[in-house]
Amino acid sequence: MASQLEIRNLHVRTEDREILRGVDLLVRHGELHALMGPNGSGKSTLANTIMGHPAYEVTAGEILFEGQNIVEMEPHERAKLGLFLAFQYPVAVPGVSIANFLRLAINAKREEPIKMKEFAEQLTRAVELLDVDRSFTSRHLNDGFSGGEKKRAEVLQMAMLRPEIAVLDETDSGLDIDALRTVAEGVGKLHAEQGLGVLIITHYQRILDYVRPEFVHVMMDGRIVLEGGNEVVERLEREGYDRIREEVASRA
Amino acid sequence: MPEATSKPGSPPAATLNAALAGSPGAGGAPLQALRERARVAYESLELPYWRRSGFWQTSFADLDMAALTPVTQAPDATAPAIVAGQENAGVLLQRDASVVHVSLNPELAARGVIFCSLEEAAAEHREVFERYYLRRLPLDRHKLEAASAAFWSGGAFLYVPPGLEIAEPFQIVYEITAPGSAQYAHTLAIADRTSAIRVREYDLAASGFEGDALHAGQFELYLEDGARCRLAHLTDWGPGNIADVSTAVVEVGRDAYCHWLPALLGGRLIRHHDELVVAGPGGDMAFRGILFSQAQEHLDVFAVDVHETGPSGGDVHWRGAATGESRASFEGLIKIDPGAQQSHTYLQFHSMMLSDAAKLDAIPSVLVSADDVSASHGGTVGELDEHLIFYMQTRCMSRPDAVRVIVEGFFEPLIVQLDDPPLEQQIRERIGAKLAAAADDIERYALAR
Repeated sequence: MASQLEIRNLHVRTEDREILRGVDLLVRHGELHALMGPNGSGKSTLANTIMGHPAYEVTAGEILFEGQNIVEMEPHERAKLGLFLAFQYPVAVPGVSIANFLRLAINAKREEPIKMKEFAEQLTRAVELLDVDRSFTSRHLNDGFSGGEKKRAEVLQMAMLRPEIAVLDETDSGLDIDALRTVAEGVGKLHAEQGLGVLIITHYQRILDYVRPEFVHVMMDGRIVLEGGNEVVERLEREGYDRIREEVASRA
Repeated sequence: MPEATSKPGSPPAATLNAALAGSPGAGGAPLQALRERARVAYESLELPYWRRSGFWQTSFADLDMAALTPVTQAPDATAPAIVAGQENAGVLLQRDASVVHVSLNPELAARGVIFCSLEEAAAEHREVFERYYLRRLPLDRHKLEAASAAFWSGGAFLYVPPGLEIAEPFQIVYEITAPGSAQYAHTLAIADRTSAIRVREYDLAASGFEGDALHAGQFELYLEDGARCRLAHLTDWGPGNIADVSTAVVEVGRDAYCHWLPALLGGRLIRHHDELVVAGPGGDMAFRGILFSQAQEHLDVFAVDVHETGPSGGDVHWRGAATGESRASFEGLIKIDPGAQQSHTYLQFHSMMLSDAAKLDAIPSVLVSADDVSASHGGTVGELDEHLIFYMQTRCMSRPDAVRVIVEGFFEPLIVQLDDPPLEQQIRERIGAKLAAAADDIERYALAR
């Protein structure tokens, strides 16, 4: 069975507030999904819950990865299964170079430590993909990085760790247009070449000009309220979230 | 004059001045007279203790001095393992009370470098020995300092003539191997005008050492005008019951420079007083340090940055981490003397707690007696950052692994500045080994949060 991430009737709360109120979502290996929605709709909560952030409590529902419920798993166990989260705000890892960090992460995922030559080859391909200088990888991860450098470093990690399914949480925020194009093209290539399944979380349609999703989901108030293909993106661009909100309200 | 051991509530300046007091330099007195003076002080003084914040102290009052005696060892042709495989200018090994191994690159000997036991220097190079010996180190602030000055044996002596620049390090190793050993160590090093050297001192126990022992060390390094030195101390006594009370002083002359990193990486009970004195105009220094305590270890450092004259520069940056039920204390002092105008210095200490049961104190102080200077201090107290741990977990690392990587990264900014790959590697390996030894403690702490 091809790997897939399936979310069933997911309810999540944090600090006494219910944020997700019954989310259903299916992302298969090799598929490209976009999850859109206004601020505060629960998109980042979903991303963090998928990876097992301790601040988010699953009160009902399931997160299935390859058919296995992962709700009780530690974040690193989920990562080792093949899930990846590119953070909206990646934190600095002082004193640890990107290259060293990548080697540690890859070795944590594998049984046997990666051979230096193999690692070097993978790293060379990854830095080319992200259009960064090789010297970038000797800098301390995210320490003093610009917004664009942080997001490039996120996708660089994704390229090196080769997950099955990646969630990109607002990877387009804080990027200028050139950085956005590089990052989006990098994601597109990993999708095309490695069959990476992608869930792009975004507020805007900007990034979707470069990575065209096959499936688009719109989230409001902790539920997915609208689903479809790329035409949903066009509609959002035309009408904005308010119009959809009114429509959802009238349906209720 | 304040009492030698201050009471809680006494003015900090008085406390600090008391800590810095003691009989000044030897003034060229002969060794026998100085030993006798120290012996008399030893007989009359009590075993020392230092009050730390809260309800703990660094105390040597329980040492059974009668049970600790110098242990003589036979010569050993083999270089110590810690320096094996490196390019060295010279290697000296003192095992317990005896210098058992000395080697010096013959080319350097031919160019006037002296590297031998301190005993030999006192006998064979008396003029230079008496000019520098105890020039700056006191010998009677407490009983164990006096013991070291009175009873040292073996010891290390280095003299580098003017203008000589040597890339390879001089390596001095003090090793404790015998239970009941009292090791009174003394290193005296002189870098004459415009010379450039690297010096490393290791304080180590034989692997698997068990039992009681004492290391009471004195270290003095004099950098004459324009001399440069990269100096490192690596102290790791392991889990044996070794008490270490040591004083080190580095004097930086006119336009001279010192980069000094003491790394305190383990010991049952350690008190170090490390003092870097800028004594000549144009002198500059970088004073770095690493403290890492685990299990039941107890590490206590008093790091002093003294500016006797200006213009002068200083930059003090230490980092400490504590796990298990260990105790660690960093007391840092900037002291700018009257007339040391145009001195600029900064003291920072960053700490990281890795256990609820550990204690780690940071006590910075600034005593300034000149008005055209800049002197300040700063620091951070870090707990484990949950955002960072989650981030690393999403990159396949378990919580304990993430914590280990965070701690290694925490010390890394100081390690890379050593500009000395073999030493950097040694320190990284020892930090890694400590993290492995503390794995259960760290795992418990990491998982409990």
